[in-house]
Amino acid sequence: MRAFVEGSNQQAMDARHPLDFLTNPERFMAFSRWAAPMFGAIAAALGLVGLFLTFAAPEDYQQHDTVRMMFIHVPAAVMSMLIYLFLGGASLLSLVFRHALADAAARACAPLGAVFTALALITGSLWGRPMWGTWWQWDARMTSVLVLFLFYLGYLALRSALEDEQKAARAAAILALVGLINLPIIKFSVDWWNTLHQGSSTLFAQPGDRLPAVYLWPWALMTLAYLSAFGSLWLVRIRALVWRRKARALALRAAEN
Amino acid sequence: MHLDFDAGKYAVYMWPAFGLTAIAFAWMIVDSLVQARRWKRELERLQAQDTASREPQA
Repeated sequence: MRAFVEGSNQQAMDARHPLDFLTNPERFMAFSRWAAPMFGAIAAALGLVGLFLTFAAPEDYQQHDTVRMMFIHVPAAVMSMLIYLFLGGASLLSLVFRHALADAAARACAPLGAVFTALALITGSLWGRPMWGTWWQWDARMTSVLVLFLFYLGYLALRSALEDEQKAARAAAILALVGLINLPIIKFSVDWWNTLHQGSSTLFAQPGDRLPAVYLWPWALMTLAYLSAFGSLWLVRIRALVWRRKARALALRAAEN
Repeated sequence: MHLDFDAGKYAVYMWPAFGLTAIAFAWMIVDSLVQARRWKRELERLQAQDTASREPQA
C-alpha cells in the first residue's frame, strides 16, 4: 500500500505541465543554463547584421544621417514598455500565487527595464535636438515615458528600502501593477493628444506612414536583437536570484544551528 | 555595399547616442554576469561548509 501511494505521488510529480520549466526552480535552472547563452548568441548575430544595415541604409531626405539613431532609439522604447509588461505580469503572479520564481522574474527585469527606458529617453533627446530644435518637450509621449522611468526607479527603490524582503516584494509588486495603467497611455499618447512626437511608423502604422523596407529591416533586426539580449540577461539575473535565495536559506540554517 | 559612417554635422548627436547605448549594454552584461557568478560561488561555499559540518567527527 505504501509503495502504491509513493508511486502515485511520483506520478503526480512527473505530470508536468507545458510551462513547468518556468515554475519549477530546478527545471528552470536546467532550461536557462542553455537558453541564456543561446539567446545571447542570437542577439549578437542579429545585432551585427542590424548594425551593418543601419550604416548601409541611405540618408533620409528629411532626417539625413540622424535616421540611423531610430534603429537604436525605437527598439529601446519598445523594450521599455515590453519589459514593464513582463514586470507587471510577473508581479501579478507573485502576488496571487506567491511563487518565488515569479518574484525573481519581476525583480530581475526591473533594472534592465530602467536601463532601456533611460536609453530611449537619452537617444530620443539626442535625436530631437537637431530635428525638432529642442532636447525636451513636455508632450504626452515624452512625459509618459519619463513617468515609466520613474515607476522603474520607484520599484527598485522600494525593493531596496525595506529590510523585510517579503514585505518589499509585495509593496513593489503592487506599485508595478499600478504602473501598468501607464502603458496604454504611452502607446496611444500620439493618437489621443496633439504631440510633437510623431506617430507609429513601424508594424502597426497606416500603410502610408510605414517605413520603407530599407529602414524597416534594420529597425526589425535591431528590435529582435534587443529582445533576444534582454531574454538572455533576464535569465542570467533570475539564475543569480535563485542562487541568492538558496544561499541565504543555507546561511540562515547555519546560523540557527 | 557602402557603409556610411560619416554623419557630417549630425555626428555630434549620433555618435554619443551609439556610444551611450554600447556603454549601457556593456554595463547590463557585466553586472548580470558578476551577480550570477557572485551568488553561485557564495552558494557553493555555503554548501561545502554545510556538508563539512554534517560529516561525523573522527
